[in-house]
Amino acid sequence: MLNWFKRRRKDDSSYETNEEWIRGLSAPADEKAVEQLRDKLIRGLKPALHKYVDRELDQFVEDVAQDALLKILDNIDTFRGESKLTTWAMKIAVREGLTELRRKKYDDSSIEDFKYPNDEGRDELTSLTFATELPDPEEATHEQMILRKVLRIINEELTEKQRRAMKALMMQGLSATVVAEQMGTNRNALYKLVHDARLKIKNQLELEGVDPAKLFNN
Amino acid sequence: MKITKKVIKKLINAAFNSHEDEIGCGKCFDKLNKFAELELKGKSAAEAMPLVEDHLKRCGECREEYEALLEALRAVQG
Repeated sequence: MLNWFKRRRKDDSSYETNEEWIRGLSAPADEKAVEQLRDKLIRGLKPALHKYVDRELDQFVEDVAQDALLKILDNIDTFRGESKLTTWAMKIAVREGLTELRRKKYDDSSIEDFKYPNDEGRDELTSLTFATELPDPEEATHEQMILRKVLRIINEELTEKQRRAMKALMMQGLSATVVAEQMGTNRNALYKLVHDARLKIKNQLELEGVDPAKLFNN
Repeated sequence: MKITKKVIKKLINAAFNSHEDEIGCGKCFDKLNKFAELELKGKSAAEAMPLVEDHLKRCGECREEYEALLEALRAVQG
């Protein structure tokens, strides 16, 4: 009886330190560690995501926690101990949830088709070119000349991929998650692509003597 | 598709605010757990990890994830 009681106490003890968590979540994972982490993720995700989810929050959060748990267990050996393990795990779960919501939001809006009022569907993204509604060069003010310079840089100096990414992000206002998936890449690579494009525009404008301090101050 | 003047202005601002040493979403995500814990402990995460702070200002999705993470961590702490 005493031995049984001791085992129960051990089984019921909660995971606290990173070492305990790592031991509990490393393969073969301890079911109690997984359950305890799942509970914690769900408790965190509900208040963090409730403003984004209009119905069935409980089910959504449980699904997200489940998907996140699989990622956490798969990647437990990449945890570097720079924070509590549960903070690291929550980070993965939060990203999982928000990524799913961004995909869902895009899918819903695509069905309604209001993103493409002029029949400009996803497939046409690559074939679009930047155009401008500015008047003739003779009428151009200083500001309009700069806008023209930028358009020229975009059209002539950027790569097709950079133009496509910037159009989707800045003109269509799509989320980086969605654009990255459409372009067969990830958010990090997409950020780098756009970062390089921004730097190219900046360097080119500086070469052409454009002073940002004098821009758009009227 | 036409590009509006407003979009170009936004783009010019983004271009002139660009720096060579910006970090991407991947590195930001790697460091976000540490950054969030510093913030919750009342320490200046922005001062300790300026490149993460800089990325969070530039990248709406990473910012959104960071704010949601803080919210989640506060809920399980409290």
